[in-house]
Amino acid sequence: MIKDITIGQFFPGQSFIHKLDPRAKIVLLIVYIVTLFLCKSFFSLALMLAFAITAVLLSRVSPKMIWKSMKAIVILLVFTAVLQIVYNDKGDVLWKPFENSSFAVTTGGVYAAVFLIVRICALILLTSLLTYTTSATLLTDAIEKLLSPLKLLRIPVHSLAMMMTIALRFIPTLLREIDIIMSAQKARGAMLDSGGLGQRLKALTSVFVPLLVSSFRRAAELATAMECRCYTDGANRTRMRRMRFTWRDLVAALTLAAFAAAVIFTSFYPIAQTLIFQPVIT
Amino acid sequence: MERKDLLSFQQVRFTYDEEAGTRPALQGISFTVKEGEFLCMLGHNGSGKSTVAKLANALLVPDSGTVLVDGADTKDPEKQLEIRKTVGIVFQNPDNQIVASIVEEDVAFGPENLCLPPEEIRRRVDDALKAVDMYDYRLQETYCLSGGQKQRVAIAGMIAMRPKCVIFDEPTAMLDPKGRRSILGTIKALNRDFGLTVVLITHFMEEAAAADRVIVLDDGKILLEGSPREVFSHTDTLVSSGLEVPDTAKLCYELNRRGVPMPADVLTEDEFTGAFLKLLKENGA
Repeated sequence: MIKDITIGQFFPGQSFIHKLDPRAKIVLLIVYIVTLFLCKSFFSLALMLAFAITAVLLSRVSPKMIWKSMKAIVILLVFTAVLQIVYNDKGDVLWKPFENSSFAVTTGGVYAAVFLIVRICALILLTSLLTYTTSATLLTDAIEKLLSPLKLLRIPVHSLAMMMTIALRFIPTLLREIDIIMSAQKARGAMLDSGGLGQRLKALTSVFVPLLVSSFRRAAELATAMECRCYTDGANRTRMRRMRFTWRDLVAALTLAAFAAAVIFTSFYPIAQTLIFQPVIT
Repeated sequence: MERKDLLSFQQVRFTYDEEAGTRPALQGISFTVKEGEFLCMLGHNGSGKSTVAKLANALLVPDSGTVLVDGADTKDPEKQLEIRKTVGIVFQNPDNQIVASIVEEDVAFGPENLCLPPEEIRRRVDDALKAVDMYDYRLQETYCLSGGQKQRVAIAGMIAMRPKCVIFDEPTAMLDPKGRRSILGTIKALNRDFGLTVVLITHFMEEAAAADRVIVLDDGKILLEGSPREVFSHTDTLVSSGLEVPDTAKLCYELNRRGVPMPADVLTEDEFTGAFLKLLKENGA
């Protein structure tokens, strides 16, 4: 169960997507998400999904990993789809359980459900692609750069970015530790998998207290090791990899801009909608 | 040519918590480490050997006495950064020394702190990874590696900063026999091929065999000092200070004493058998 968590996983590669400037990737992702929520028609949604799928294909990340990240949200998708179908009563009636029932499956409900599913899928697809193709260090470096204006407000941007790097680095380590502690406590007769909710929560303290203690020890040792490696406040650190805005970023930005323009055009101009969806009758 | 002293402890005393009245960790010890030397510091748990590492790197400063690193006094806060550039430490648990998720990014952490230009960092990272034989793993995630590989990454992270001396504080204590051998091999190679000054702190006697000189610590005092051969011969003293002399070393020592020319740096039973068979062949048996 614990091993299935894929947050912050990274698959090294040399693809177009891997070589994009991480700062550009973050900004483009934000623009993409905003555009995704501006979509009003199936046509625009299909455009956005096509963009996401193209990006995934370009990245050459294995479809298996993509599926792994999608698997986690299947329940959420089914749940929202059912809610939409049950509660949305706009449009034509498609099916009724019996005559005069107040509940009916309508075209509006089905449309809304499909719309939501596609939207969430596209969102997860591109967001996981960001972490799959960008190492944690580059990602936090990029966030640090993007947030650097906040330094003027005396917000310690560098320290926050460093904390994020370390947090991401320790996720797998701590997950493994939880596994070990749980096994150790089970071996001593802790009932972690049985009993009521209250009992289980109580049993979990026997896992989290040792985890907390060992985390503090780890933190102290890590701090010593970092000091040994001449880490001070980090204000003037240089970086091995320079982030550069290249032609690739320009191509990616222009492509997304074109897609966004098409989405906004088709979603907000009724004329465009009729042009695309209803053949003009002469 | 007389090699100069890189590290020098003079009558160093140190107590962790004086008010609590704990026993001093170090009770006035003096020793020096010469440039290019491979020194092994032996001692059981609580003998003060880890304290020595932290004092040499200005993580701690002595209560009395002086620690000189390449001529600089560790008490001088101005020189602290210079001292840490000269002397690096590799600790016991590799998991708690690795800062970044990707191998090469972790190795780059130290050089980045030294504010070097990117090209120079790249060069040092590649060199360091090649030196510890981890270059092929440079893009791997650190948590996927074995304990021995993680420790090698930690060593690369240290030597990428190009220190003159690296102190290894029980680097093999958390590893399996295979990992231990590979780390020891790496440490020996760094000393031999790159002229790195090495201080290896350990409680495994057999690891001391490869060193130029051995210092045995007991209760914050120096108990024995000399070549591995000399030190191993004091079997009684070593056993009374809680250190176990490895069987193969004991056997080699005894054979040597009886006139059989066995090499002194035999670590495992396999090596012993190999060396012994070779000896038999040479004598035409």
